[in-house]
Amino acid sequence: MKTLKALSLFLLSGLILMGCDSSTYEQTFDTSKIRRASLEETEAIVEAFILAEDSSTIIIPEGFYNLNTQLILDNKTGVKIKGAGMDKTVLSFRNLQTGGEGVKIVGNQISIEDLTIEDAPGDGIKSQHSDGITFRRLNVTWTNGDKSKNGTYAIYPVQCKNVMIDECIASHSKDAGIYVGQSENIVVKNSLAFGNVAGIEIENSDNAEVFGNTARNNSGGILVFNLPGLPKSDGKGTKIYDNDIIDNNHKNFATPIGDGPNGNTVTMIPPGSGIVLLAAKEVEIYNNRIHNNKTSGVSIASYQVTGFPAEAPNWSPYTMDIYVHDNEYKRKKLSTPDLTRELGQMVSIYNAHGKGKTQDIIYDGIWDESISPNIESNPMRICLQEKNWEDLHFTRFYLMDGEDNITSYKDHELFQNCQVKVKTDISGLAGL
Amino acid sequence: MGLILGIAFSCQEKAENTNQETSQAKSGERALAPEEADGNYPYRRLSTYGFFEGKMNELEPASNLTLYKPASSLFTDYAWKSRFVYFPDGSQAEIIGEEMELPVGSILIKNFYYPNDFRKPEEGKRIIETRLMIHEEGGWQAYPYLWNEEQTDAVLKVVGAQLEVRFTDASGKDQIINYLVPNKNQCKSCHNKDEKLAPIGIQPKHLNHELDYGSFKSNQLAYWAEKGNLKGFEGADTHPSVIDYEDKTQALDDRAMAYLDINCSHCHRAEGPASTSGLFLTYDQKDPLKLGVNKTPVAAGKGAGSFRFDIQPGKADESILTYRMNSTEVGVAMPEIGRTTVHEEGVELIRQWINSMPESK
Repeated sequence: MKTLKALSLFLLSGLILMGCDSSTYEQTFDTSKIRRASLEETEAIVEAFILAEDSSTIIIPEGFYNLNTQLILDNKTGVKIKGAGMDKTVLSFRNLQTGGEGVKIVGNQISIEDLTIEDAPGDGIKSQHSDGITFRRLNVTWTNGDKSKNGTYAIYPVQCKNVMIDECIASHSKDAGIYVGQSENIVVKNSLAFGNVAGIEIENSDNAEVFGNTARNNSGGILVFNLPGLPKSDGKGTKIYDNDIIDNNHKNFATPIGDGPNGNTVTMIPPGSGIVLLAAKEVEIYNNRIHNNKTSGVSIASYQVTGFPAEAPNWSPYTMDIYVHDNEYKRKKLSTPDLTRELGQMVSIYNAHGKGKTQDIIYDGIWDESISPNIESNPMRICLQEKNWEDLHFTRFYLMDGEDNITSYKDHELFQNCQVKVKTDISGLAGL
Repeated sequence: MGLILGIAFSCQEKAENTNQETSQAKSGERALAPEEADGNYPYRRLSTYGFFEGKMNELEPASNLTLYKPASSLFTDYAWKSRFVYFPDGSQAEIIGEEMELPVGSILIKNFYYPNDFRKPEEGKRIIETRLMIHEEGGWQAYPYLWNEEQTDAVLKVVGAQLEVRFTDASGKDQIINYLVPNKNQCKSCHNKDEKLAPIGIQPKHLNHELDYGSFKSNQLAYWAEKGNLKGFEGADTHPSVIDYEDKTQALDDRAMAYLDINCSHCHRAEGPASTSGLFLTYDQKDPLKLGVNKTPVAAGKGAGSFRFDIQPGKADESILTYRMNSTEVGVAMPEIGRTTVHEEGVELIRQWINSMPESK
């Protein structure tokens, strides 16, 4: 699928454009009234990170800290970093002159809690090569008027083991608010992600549970991706349950206004996406409230839909072994799918329920022909067990004959009579 | 020695009283108690180590230091560098495969300075910082020392600093650079091998070439071996070597790979922090995908600009690699630390290299 530009012209002439993209600049806390920390106090914090010893606690007292250098905790064990509260301790990286992320943590059994991180030019807080890393009651955000100037990820553990993200708030990042990459044993719970391009994203990771969160007002709510060509090649085993995935209709600002998608996959996400699976493996999605996402509640896609090269060692572009059940879906009256991204245009035009209809579940229907000559046998094991099919908009697309021959089907029955056992085990994270 | 003898240079203007400048001034003025060279590193003052003889700012090395220089140099805002290694008495480095191990107690000394006029480097310079890497019992440690305005000594400054530097460049143009001294833990943003602090230039591939020692010339590894400071050297031909990317007689491919290796591969390799990206830029990388050819970014954010691939063959101006090298915006610019200006010559080299690749169908 290369381009759908011609289709969008057709669509624009055939439909009235309903400009439903929203934007939000909402801030959870007003940090403008917090006492400004002095230069000495600020340098003391930088020094505390540098000189930290194993099993120590770094207390960051109430105050607004204007940092021009990174806070890096390097190869320590058992360190606790503690602020005075998300509304009281603010680390602002607006004046950071060098380096990517604001806070960087490498170590084992590290926790950071009760503070706000603002306006880092790259990522808000990044943790790499850490075993046992807890983010608790962190608010990570950006305050720029032009959101395309915001940083990439708010909370960003990568290449970590035993990751706990609890009661955090991540907002306005131009990629994912909470992004867990190339990691294993992961909990993301009781957190809020809003105003991001992607709310919560689990990428190339194993054994993750995402529950009790709210992902609202993002372009896409919760994403599970496997991208090609990475050291951790293909992740599997994610459960997404008891989340509120609501109103994820935010404009996709991953590129500046007027620019189309670039090579970052997230730039292709059509606003109005609740949950998106891309080249995902072994994912169970249940007991979520998936409401008012204007393009599609759940989107199941293979990597081929990106149009990017889809070959890499030890990696498969197909989404497979998916079990979606017992979720609650609501579609907003009068809302129509996104038209700003090709995938949104495809849903608008080719869905099986009529042009411009919001979908609850879509499946791109791309399967591995070496497994089966046709899709009727459900070769990718996509299992969908929802209760009220008569009320739902389900579309399976057929894209494998090129963009001029796209067809679609309502045949959820093909995917209805199976189950996939998705195994996760987060018992090892109980103490985090 | 191939050292530049500088004349004391003391005409730094008082910069505007920004917060950073204030803090720098304070640390410089802080009355430091006398300090003894008791072997308990780090010392507060650079002078305590006794690395330099005579006037300190002439950077004339004591006899127990050895000059060294990697074939290609990491770009750091056009700063000039002089580097020395100290081997404890009777101790030896050892080449093991493609790596080199230095003995415990070794110290790497790297001075960052700007000649006032790049065309006349002998006519005075300003030394900004001296970075020490000390091989302690528990591994390498990095200690940045910031020189005072009087250029009489440098003081350990773990939290970093920023200062304005003025110089006249090689083409005679006046330049002002906002020089950033990294904080201690930022050192590891580059000096990182499997999350352990590690030297970059001290690898056989970077040192396996001839160096001008002033009174004689020699292959550096051969010279170290000859004076008993190196084990495992079996002749220059038996060890890998990277060329000098500035050597225009060399093939474009080799110059580009040498540039990427010394400027990028400390992070962009399997053992480095940017392994997350899947982009690997060591000089011997042959896999096009790992080199970035038709490779989509992973976590680049705004660093991707409006482009799809790290390298779009034949199209340097549509490649993320050159876009990021050509930017000074934090969050876009690569490398992430160590520069606030664009390395024009480096960008041009990589542009030519990408443009020389056949376009994809």
